Order: sequence, then structure tokens, then C-alpha cells
Amino acid sequence: MKRTLSSAALVSVLLTAAGAGVVAQRGGASAPALQVNPLWPEPLPNHWVLGSVTGVSVDARDHVWVAHRGADSLEGGEKGMTLTPPTSSLCCAAAPFVLQFDADGKLLSNFGGPGQGYQWPQSPGSLLVDAKNNVWIAAAGLEPAPPGSGRGRGGVDTTAAGVAAAARGTAAPTGPADAHVLKFSSDGKFLLQIGTPGKIEGPESQTTLNRPAAVAVDTAASEVYVADSGNHRIVVFNSETGAYKRHWGAYGEKPTAAGGGAYDPAAPPSRQFRDVTCVELAKDGMLYVCDRTSNRIQVFQKDGKFVKEGIISKNTRGATVTGQFGVVSSHGSVWDIAFSSDAAQQHIFVADGHDKKVLIVQRDTLAEVGSLGDGGRQPGRFLAVGSLATDSRGNLYTGEQHHGKRVQKFVPGARR
Amino acid sequence: MKRTRNLLVGAGFLALLAALGIAQSTLQRTAAAQAQGAAQAPRFEVDPMWPKPLPNGWYLGQTIGVSVDAQDHVWIIHRAASMDAVEAAADEGTGTCCKKTPPVLEFDQAGNLLRHWGGEDGTGYQWPASNHGLTIDHKGNIWIGGNGAANDGHILKFTQDGKFLMQVGIKQAGLGPDSNSQERFYLVAKVSVDARTNEVYVADGYGNRRVVVIDGDTGKFKRYWGAYGNKPSDEAAPYRYTNGSVPLQQFRGPVHCADISVDNLIYVCDRTSDRLQVFTREGKFQKEIFVAPDSLGDGSTWDVAFSKDAQQKYLYLADGRNQKLRIYDRQSLTELTNFGEGGHYPGQFYSMHSIAVDSKGNLYTTETYQGRRVQKFTYKGLGPVMKKEQGTVWPRRTTN
Repeated sequence: MKRTLSSAALVSVLLTAAGAGVVAQRGGASAPALQVNPLWPEPLPNHWVLGSVTGVSVDARDHVWVAHRGADSLEGGEKGMTLTPPTSSLCCAAAPFVLQFDADGKLLSNFGGPGQGYQWPQSPGSLLVDAKNNVWIAAAGLEPAPPGSGRGRGGVDTTAAGVAAAARGTAAPTGPADAHVLKFSSDGKFLLQIGTPGKIEGPESQTTLNRPAAVAVDTAASEVYVADSGNHRIVVFNSETGAYKRHWGAYGEKPTAAGGGAYDPAAPPSRQFRDVTCVELAKDGMLYVCDRTSNRIQVFQKDGKFVKEGIISKNTRGATVTGQFGVVSSHGSVWDIAFSSDAAQQHIFVADGHDKKVLIVQRDTLAEVGSLGDGGRQPGRFLAVGSLATDSRGNLYTGEQHHGKRVQKFVPGARR
Repeated sequence: MKRTRNLLVGAGFLALLAALGIAQSTLQRTAAAQAQGAAQAPRFEVDPMWPKPLPNGWYLGQTIGVSVDAQDHVWIIHRAASMDAVEAAADEGTGTCCKKTPPVLEFDQAGNLLRHWGGEDGTGYQWPASNHGLTIDHKGNIWIGGNGAANDGHILKFTQDGKFLMQVGIKQAGLGPDSNSQERFYLVAKVSVDARTNEVYVADGYGNRRVVVIDGDTGKFKRYWGAYGNKPSDEAAPYRYTNGSVPLQQFRGPVHCADISVDNLIYVCDRTSDRLQVFTREGKFQKEIFVAPDSLGDGSTWDVAFSKDAQQKYLYLADGRNQKLRIYDRQSLTELTNFGEGGHYPGQFYSMHSIAVDSKGNLYTTETYQGRRVQKFTYKGLGPVMKKEQGTVWPRRTTN
């Protein structure tokens, strides 16, 4: 306990000295001020490292849950202990796919990987811990992502880098393409699968999904909202049985398999979703949806009636590059959102992954009022920031994909 | 917690505390270690917020050289071209961040960015296809190597303002190894400079398999040697090194450092052989050590630096394969302790590449590949070695 207190005080001193990680504000509107805690979480045991972080969620006890892609997103030099032959006995190995930390950054538990009755995702997407403390994981699929048509195809990487990775034994996991959502108990016991890997039947299907990216759970109604990225829709199921309830596309209209096509900042907003990568339920019952490569948030009622939309960083487009662990794709400005911790949820944090910032928008107007961070590998900076969560005390947690491979904690703090 | 504070407690209090019944394992170990005259070693802790964020939407690529000048300003060199289209989204016009950054950057002690330059050819010189290594000499001038395959056969010397002073060797398409050339290098990793003789020791390199000594003002070749002081050969070495194999009589390479100590010894990193060889200034072989010899791939001996005491009692070795900063007693080349772990958090590393020490003993590290940063480790004085592997050295947790 003493250690915790003294290191917290020290962090505060360090931050004051460095003056970094502070929120920038625009237009005189107020925005939450946050500073990075550079010493969170505690170093992992067993020479474990994080791969590309795809999901961050905070449970009712303010514990932080993390999902990452594991070994298939690590370069050879990051997983030398698990290569054949090993290139190191000291560094490193992928941490288990799902990790639970307490608010102080202590690792409490972990699980993940193949098991009886389900297929572990080729590439996990978002993770959500619901009010009953169940852990939901979207099977979001591998890159590459064809621009405008959702996430990865879920196939084997046939690029030169992919073939080389296969030869090194470091290729991405094979198996039927990700098209499902998984529900586990908090200790990793499999509870429910919605959708079937490899089975993709389009946006009118009541039983199948297409590279879903995220879920939200309405516990009172026993409903789970799925951001069904590849089908360009939101689809709702019974969260206990998986039974279909309803679905809709952008503006509450009928989704199409073609989606929104390639994004053009000069064109009018697409009537279809391109790349639905988040779905979040506010306390007032409004449902917020990220259309990542359309640079927009759309707001709905729970029944799918369209309420409004906000365009964020309109001119942001994207890039797809091939690295040592395959193709990484970075498109659009609205990768994930989280509501501010105040009772009214006055603000929304937006993970603008391609621009490497967390933007802060007012929830009522969806107007940008501030931002946090910028590109870089130092604490408080970002690369491919793609998942966000807030806790009850005003702290913000961020997850970085691609080569970012971190979960960072930002704590409330006035600028000094 | 108590442990940490106990380390700060003077030896005189130990008996008293013990008498008071505070019998903690660490306390006992500390006392025991001191009683046995346990080795002392420099202690460090990471400064997680150094340097300050770069201005102008700039972003570091593979960061592959660091040196400290007489004002304790920290100079680094990185590869702007290693930034991909996602990282350089502002240059590509697809996003608001970030932009490619000049390769040579100067930071003050507070972590502010000062001068920045380089990256282009200029009158009389060719910028390396892939700049590699940066060294500040006793006159304050800056030396840069390059390892762009089939191109870089040269080193460059500049003032701190980026004014060109000298190029030794050539950059030429189609270049290959020639470890007995008297005129040019091939894929130089870094240099060190002997202030007393104005001689430059060139780690040559990724293509050649030798150390070359040139005059620091004229660039004239003076002497060179290979592993064990042998005449170097370009004959291909077996690619796959294995632990326990008969040591190669040539450098396997890359010859990744050639640093001169205060007592005129040259410490040479033969990276993928996992070894450090020591020579006199004339190239007479003295001794060698193997470092984590089960390390494959990139190898374990990436760079060295010396402690700031007058005798340079300690040698620091960057093990970028195992992500350890290893601390040796320099005379015996006995490893005393190490710190670091793999990862992207403060005090962790992914491919720790280059290291340097300032006048106060603080240590700076740079990371290549997807590490892409410079970190500062604050010197916390000498202390008894309590742990061979310290792990991630966060503030107040340096040893436990």
C-alpha cells in the first residue's frame, strides 16, 4: 500500500515537471483535462508482452480488461522465446489474450485461446465486460481491410510478407473466417457464441455475422447490440440465448452488402455504413455507433430509429501497409468511443486512430471541444489508438493497435 | 514500500533496525551482501517523461544512434524513411499526424528539442542511404555512419550546426564488401574517437568485418584488423550461429561498436556472435566474452558505453536481443547485474540499439525496429547488487 501511494505521488511530480499529456482545448468550450500515468500497468510477469491491443473495457469494480491479438501480431524479435528454435531465453512471449488489471495496474487474471465448443477469433476485436461481469469478445477478423467494405477478409495472408511469416511459423492463425461473437464468464468459461465462423450470409441474416467489431449489452432488456462491421449494420440479439431481435443500417435504413464504398471527404455522407467498429449505450438510452472509415458517429434509439450524426475529422482517410507481421490497415477517425464519467456523460472520447489522437466531443452537439495526445511511442502519445474505456473515477484507458501495443491510463488532472 | 526505503537507509542504521525487530528478507540480504563485500554497481531508474513531445507533428522512426556532447545535450539519429504511410499520414495527406522528421536531433537536459538537420545530400557529401550511428567527438563534431546495403561505403563528419566537414569513403550503387580496402568502408555501424590521438575507430560494419582506424582530421587510413586481430576476410561466415560452436576466427558481424576506453582499450561488438572482443589501440587482441550465448537472430552485443568515473570502472552493454542493459565490471568483464524487459512501456525495450552516458552518469538508450524512441535512465549512484535481473526499473523500484 505504501508503495502505491508513494509512486502515485511521484508520478504527479513527474507529470508536473514534464507538463505533458495535457488536454488541448478548442473554441473556449470546456473539456475534461487528463494526464497520462506513465507507470501503468505494472510490468507483466513471465516476459510477457502485449500484441496489437484491440479491446479495453472497465467493469463495475473499476477493473480494466484488455484483449489483444497475441503472437500473430508480434514481430520475431518480440516473441523470441516462442520461435523455433528460440532466439532468446529472456524476451519475450505473447501474454494471454485476455488480461484483467485492477485500477492500480496489478495483473489479476487472464484467459483466452482455443477451447471446447467455440473457435477463438483469428483476430479478436473489441472486448466488453457487461453488468453481470460476463466478458464479450467480437471475432473481428484479420487484415487486410478492403477500404470501405469493413474489416479484414479473414483469410490467410497471401502477401509476400504473409508467405514469409508462414514459412517462419509465425503466420496468423488459420481456420474459418471470423464471423462470430463470444461470451465468457469472468473466469473464462465459455457461455455463448452468436454467429458461426466461416458462415457469412449477408446483412439480412438473422443467424450469421460478418467480422463483427464490438458489442454493447443492455442488461435490463437482456439484449446485446453487435457492431456487425462486414454486414454494415447493427444487429440485436437476446444476450442470454442469442436469439435474433432486430437490425438496421446507417440512418436506420436497410443495410446492403455493398456498404458505403470508398470514402471521399468531398462526397455527401453515405447512406450506408462503411465500417462499424463500435456500439455504445449511453445512460439515457441512446445508442452510439462508430462508422470508422466514414469519420462519423451516428446516434440511434434502441429500436433503431436514427437520431443524429456527427462528422469527426472529415478529411481523414487512411493507409494500408505491410509489415513484418502482415498487413496493417489504418483508416478513418472514429475507431471507438467512450463516455465521460460524469453523471450526465457530457462528453465523448473518440479514438481517432489514423490521426493518433483521442478527440473529445460534446455529447449533445457532437462538436469537437478538445483532444489528447499526438503520434509517438512515448507515454501519452499514440499509434493506432483504437479502443477506449472510462471508469467511475474519471480515468480513461486507451488501447493501441498495430505496433502501438499498449494500454495507457489517463487520470484527471488540471493543467498546471 | 519498506523494501525500497530500506535500501536508502544508511548502513549505520541497519543494526539498530534489526534490534528493533524489523527483520525483513531484503534487509537481511542487504546486510549480508554488505558484510560479504558484495559488488557495488550503478543503479538507474527510467525517467518516463523524457524527452518532451516533439514539435511540428514530428515522430521518430527507427532510432539508431545516440551521443552526448560537452553541454550534456543528447543527440540522436533516426531513420525518417522507416516511417510507414500510417505513421507519416500528415505527409501523405491522409491524416493530421505525423510528419517525417530530420534524422539528427539535439535535446537539452530538460528534454527540449534544439537543433535538427540532415537527411539530404549536400556539396561534397552524400547522405547515407540508411544513416546508422552517431558520435560526438572531443571537438564537438558529429560523425555518422550508414548501412544502406549496396550503397553506403562512407562516414560523414559535421559540425553541430550540420555544416559538412568531411566524408571518408564513398557512397556508390552496387557497392559490396572489401574488408581490406584502404579507401572506403562498407555499411558502417558507428565510430568512436580517441581525444588523445585524434584517431577514429570505425566499426565497419554490416558488410565488412573489421575495425578501421583513421585520422580524425584527414580521414587517412592508418590500420585495421579483424576478429582476434586477424587479417579480415570477406569469406562468408556460416549464417546460423549456435551456442557452443567453435568461435569464428572472423567477425560474423555486424561489427556494431568499436569504443575506446580511458585506458586505451577498444571494445568491439560482434553482434551475431554474441561476443565482445577487446583490443589494444594497435589491434592486438586482449580478451573476449560471450554474452547470453543462446541468443540467435540479431545477437546480443549491440553497443557499449562506459561509466562516468575517472577509471570507467563499469561497462554498459546494450543487449537488444534480450532487451537487457547489462552492467559489467570492466576490468574483469564480469556481469554484475542487468535491467530491462521487452515491451513498449517506460523502462522496457524493443530492440535497444544504442546507448550513451552523460557527465552526471545518466544513461540514454535508443530503440530501432518498432521501438522507435529515446529513453533516459537517471543515475542513482552505486549500490550493492541485490538482484542479477532487475527487470523494469521504474522510479523508486530500482533494486529490490
